[in-house]
Amino acid sequence: MASTQQLKSRIRSVKSTKQITKAMQMVAASKMRRAQESVKASEDYTNTANELLTFFASQGVTDRHPFFQERTVKSRLLIVIAGDKGLAGAYNSNIAKTYINELRDDKKNNIHTKSIAVGRKASQYAVRLNHTDILGVYENLPDKPGANELQAILDTAIAQFESGVVDAVDVIYTKFISGMNQQVTVKRILPAGFDETDVSDDVVNAVYEPNAEEVLRAVSYRLVLAQIFQALLDARASEHSMRMMAMKNATDNASELADDLTLEMNKARQGAITQELAEISGGVEALSE
Amino acid sequence: MNLELVTLLGKKVDQEVYEVIIPTADGEIAVFPGHEPLVGIAVPGAIVIRKNKGDNDDKLDYYAISGGVVEISQKYVRVLVDEAADGDDIVEVETKAALDRAIKMRDTAKNQVELEKAHELVDRHMVRLKVAGLRRRHRRP
Repeated sequence: MASTQQLKSRIRSVKSTKQITKAMQMVAASKMRRAQESVKASEDYTNTANELLTFFASQGVTDRHPFFQERTVKSRLLIVIAGDKGLAGAYNSNIAKTYINELRDDKKNNIHTKSIAVGRKASQYAVRLNHTDILGVYENLPDKPGANELQAILDTAIAQFESGVVDAVDVIYTKFISGMNQQVTVKRILPAGFDETDVSDDVVNAVYEPNAEEVLRAVSYRLVLAQIFQALLDARASEHSMRMMAMKNATDNASELADDLTLEMNKARQGAITQELAEISGGVEALSE
Repeated sequence: MNLELVTLLGKKVDQEVYEVIIPTADGEIAVFPGHEPLVGIAVPGAIVIRKNKGDNDDKLDYYAISGGVVEISQKYVRVLVDEAADGDDIVEVETKAALDRAIKMRDTAKNQVELEKAHELVDRHMVRLKVAGLRRRHRRP
């Protein structure tokens, strides 16, 4: 049995670890709340873009636009979104697993794959792989990303797609379903798709300025932007909620360990006292004889 | 007529207004209730909002916007932009400093990517500065 001194110092170290994990849990919880709020806020944007595109589709202009053209996929671009930091449970490794599976499928089907990595963990992983060309690496995006930060990613993706270098653009990210449930998702953003919604009659006879093509381009561009943005926000919310869970488990484990160690220490201390008493009474016995 | 200013970070404006001036590719357009339905492109610039019919110029609201799409119907105006900054939130001194930095970055850009990024930043801060200026001009005590 370990000495009481050793046990004492172990308990101290477990307790200070617990304090750290507890703090990380709180931070992740508040960040998750904020991320969830921005996911909600950006929905208005996506809905509006969807509505406009439904309207365009009803006018038959979307078919002509390059963003909407389906081609047989001979090469594709993967945008992989993971975190900048670890300690978030299986968050980063789930993304990596899906990423590898996608690459393996592409290899089997003779599809050439290019990648853009978002987040330090994604880039560390992607650069070690052989079957993919890395087009760009984006690390340490701010907690509240704006359109500015995404412009570069979006412009690369669109340029690659329009010039015909890639035939499709997919995003791999973790979809935030609820605080307990997050799922790695592969979402196609180009060729662009949109959800059909109701269009108000007010705009049916609208005039285009300067012309339908340019307006359509502006709207589709924004829809794709919104989709990447939302994927990023979802990924953020998932990361924080998974980190929160991981840290909660760590905190619980630390408490349990500290309790066990305290019990053991008490036992050791009691054992030492009992032994001492036995020795004393043994001594007294010996003297009295 | 109802005005909605929708950005990636949520709706910045969603209210009844009397007049709204929007910068478009072909110049600024002023929209009043009953405007003919129109879908157009908004360019970086200042959106000016007059809430009630009798409001003076010192009661106007200003927003600096990046590019986007405008949807106008008889009853509502919807502006879909990547970013919109409330004129009240823009700090002129800071924006001026940011603009200077962007200009410096543009002049010292080493490659095309940097140059484009710098151009974008310069445009962005110019617009913000313009909005701050407009606001100050009309609201001087």
